[in-house]
Amino acid sequence: MSAATLIAGVVQVAGGVLGAPAIAGLIQQLKARLQGRRGPSILQPYRELARLWGKSGVAPEPHTLIYTLAPAVVAACTLLALALLPIGEHAPDWGLGHDSLVLVGLLALARFAVTLAAWDTAGGFGLMGAARDLMFSVFVEGLLLLVLVLLALPLHSTDLLSMSHAATLSAVWPEPAHWAAAAAFCLVILAETGRQPVDNPDTHLELTMVHEGPLLEYAGRDLAYLQWSAAARHWMMLVLGCELLIPHPGPFAAQLAVLAGGLLVLSAALAVCETVQAKMRVLRVPLLLGFGSVLCLLGLASWFAGGGG
Amino acid sequence: MGATDALVLAGAAAIVAGTLAAGFRGFSRAGLAWQSVGVALFGVAGGWVLASGHAVGAGFRGDVHAAFGIDGLSGFFLLVIAVVGAPAALFARDALGADGPGRSLAVATGVFLLALVGFVCARDVSTFLGFWELMTLVPAAVILLARQDREARHGVFVYLAITHIGGAGVWVSMLVLVQHGALGGHPLGGGLAAFVACASLAGFSTKAGLMPLHSWLPRAHPLAPAHISALMSGVMIKLALYGLIRVLFQWLAPPGLWVGITLIAIGVLSCLGGVLYALMAHELKRLLAFHSIENVGIVALGLGASLVFRDTGQPAWSAIAFAAALLHALNHALFKGLLFLGAGAFSRAVGGLELDRLGGLLRRMPWTGWAFALGAMAIAGLPPLNGFVSEWLTLQSLLHLGVASHLGVALTGAVATAALAGTAALAAYCFVKVIGLVLLGSPRRPECAEANEVPVGMRASMVFLAGACVVLGVLPALLVPTLAGLGPGHVTLQTGAALNVPGTGSLPTVALAVALVVIVGVLVRLASGRRAAPAPTWVCGHPSAAGLAWSSAGFTKPLRLVLEVLFRTRREVQVSTSAGVVQSVTYRAEVPHLFDTLLYGPVSHAALSAAVLARRLQSGSLRAYLLYLLVLLGVVLALARTGVLG
Repeated sequence: MSAATLIAGVVQVAGGVLGAPAIAGLIQQLKARLQGRRGPSILQPYRELARLWGKSGVAPEPHTLIYTLAPAVVAACTLLALALLPIGEHAPDWGLGHDSLVLVGLLALARFAVTLAAWDTAGGFGLMGAARDLMFSVFVEGLLLLVLVLLALPLHSTDLLSMSHAATLSAVWPEPAHWAAAAAFCLVILAETGRQPVDNPDTHLELTMVHEGPLLEYAGRDLAYLQWSAAARHWMMLVLGCELLIPHPGPFAAQLAVLAGGLLVLSAALAVCETVQAKMRVLRVPLLLGFGSVLCLLGLASWFAGGGG
Repeated sequence: MGATDALVLAGAAAIVAGTLAAGFRGFSRAGLAWQSVGVALFGVAGGWVLASGHAVGAGFRGDVHAAFGIDGLSGFFLLVIAVVGAPAALFARDALGADGPGRSLAVATGVFLLALVGFVCARDVSTFLGFWELMTLVPAAVILLARQDREARHGVFVYLAITHIGGAGVWVSMLVLVQHGALGGHPLGGGLAAFVACASLAGFSTKAGLMPLHSWLPRAHPLAPAHISALMSGVMIKLALYGLIRVLFQWLAPPGLWVGITLIAIGVLSCLGGVLYALMAHELKRLLAFHSIENVGIVALGLGASLVFRDTGQPAWSAIAFAAALLHALNHALFKGLLFLGAGAFSRAVGGLELDRLGGLLRRMPWTGWAFALGAMAIAGLPPLNGFVSEWLTLQSLLHLGVASHLGVALTGAVATAALAGTAALAAYCFVKVIGLVLLGSPRRPECAEANEVPVGMRASMVFLAGACVVLGVLPALLVPTLAGLGPGHVTLQTGAALNVPGTGSLPTVALAVALVVIVGVLVRLASGRRAAPAPTWVCGHPSAAGLAWSSAGFTKPLRLVLEVLFRTRREVQVSTSAGVVQSVTYRAEVPHLFDTLLYGPVSHAALSAAVLARRLQSGSLRAYLLYLLVLLGVVLALARTGVLG
């Protein structure tokens, strides 16, 4: 195993497992500053996870094994998905491959588990969030696959490693297809991480929650798993954005620098977006994602109109 | 005589004996057991032929003398028949009563199994078409044996009408093919090939339940007894695809790119349309029937992609897409068979299957419940189960259609990729709803609170199918290379713990499944500490009222509002007021089946109007008929005089 692969593995695991909450904290901090508040420290998510870890779980009536298993399934899916991520154009071989569609499948399994847990306790608010989350997922998955089609264009592969290798081939994307993919992927990030204008991560009003809704019945370590998974999903989406859509030619150290810079810039962008944007009506979100799909199809057409790279 | 021949003969003998025995009082259970054994023997023979690659019996022949044989493709479809047929017959053994209708149904089950097996083993056009018709007629007879009400009669009428009008395409294409010797090994080419392609697409896709000729399926499947529904949805509609594969891949010279593109378009329409109407269905068996349309749509996507790859000179992906389609056909047979049998078990335990009036069955019926939940996860295309593997392969095929060709094909591939991804998400949405309403939460009517688990034979057949879903999900790489060898094109795939397909990041099914189970186990263990005393679910401090529970319509409301333009929901609100005070509000909403209102309605109206016009000719008066004869005679004489008749 080369040094680059080793470092990539460390960034994958340490960044995803330990560093992910810091991204969430960073966004909160930046947002508070932009809104003229001091805001909580960047370390606040860690303190909350530690507090939850020491608390006891709850046993709502009625519930079955599904309620008990769901947080662990969500966390396990997220953990496996983290192991698929490319860092730079490297990643250790965990025996899980690096296929992008497998990553989509793991995210779908996590969503399935958490929405099923909402049915298990049959609480009104949890199911409201679950129904909306599943409705979004239909359009998000369609759009995400279109983005993957565009990203697979240069090297004809859905392997995340070769996709991130394609992003090292030039310093600036020469094809409109990549720009379309980048724009569309930004919409995927917003929807998949539950950020405004799709969802408001700060809300504690049950009627407006989407991603937070099904978490209402959890406490203790179960809730810690779910909150860590939400943070790790942020990390995962931002890393994917950096590694697949920001060109990063050069040596491995430069690629790591691009990743760090990209994460900071994307976090700041999310904070700004959250400050200037109000939450959108739930029913208009699919329209936004549909716009992304049209953009992707135009990008694809431009690729073949330009001679197919 | 080889071992395979002996297996086949023993299997046929067992099914025939089982069918005959089932007719006698006191022997129907034993008869069904024999049928189960017989169809399992056929499955073993089919699997053997598939694995060894040596065909047995006759090859396809161009004449009309009865001939039977099994090649790789037939062997695979025998396997599909067996994995559903054997558990279904076992299920029926405990599910059917020993009285009159039960005995007749047991006999009909045997005849149906024989028809299915006979169809895939037929090697000449007369037995092919004979078993094809038998396969269509037996389910109609079964439905009429099981139920005599008006709804059932109407459903059977619609089923027979649509499958025969559409099925005419099968007769036309088969007769043209045999007349030109295509079955004898000379694929039909030229302009006639395009005609045969169209006719067979119409004919076989009607029977496969592909949109827009699907309308019989959601009517007929819910009416049949559970094990026949499982066979219809799991096997019968797949055999129509078997016919389509024979025609399009073997008996026709490639008529052009448009056939593959058309098949992809039909597939996109079917998978999206099927799953969207499934989401709006509120009765379990009707919902499952719509999912069958979705899944044959996915198989059609794979087949269409395979054709396009073949015609654009990409043999490797052509083989992979073909394997994806076959694997999905097998997977769908497994989980849809499981789900229909589960629905039958629930129906036996609690009666009606209205989704809003079930609930809490996982605790009362753990075996059925967990098997059903596994089947639901598999059909929703979630890892590490079998549905994920075949959807992954199909998605990869469509995605590679999108990247490696010219613009038109690429756009088709990209749109189909997005549509299939959306379909998978919609299916997950739908089965979250189904599991939630049927298995979880509180019982919504007294029968559900007192439901009892079904007898062991029924449980065993469901557990077998659920186990097969897990095995195929974890070890698909044992089967996929063989399936890829059956199709057009050529690709070398390794057999092993991972599905290593070139151009992908590989799908290590074993590693994923093991890692998932181990990590979930560790995390659950870590979290299993103190738990607070049980308390009711929190609803802002109010007591949770049964009337406020989420319904099937409520859970899908966000999607219905977003896609209002497609669903065109009809809503009726009646407010009755007295002295300015609202006394009561009644609300009714329904999602009409657009194909019925926009396509089938106008067509049947037109047919009826034409019939009214034609009836005017039949006045019943002898003088009018004499006049018709006179006019006809005059016309014929005139034509003869002008020399038109030669």
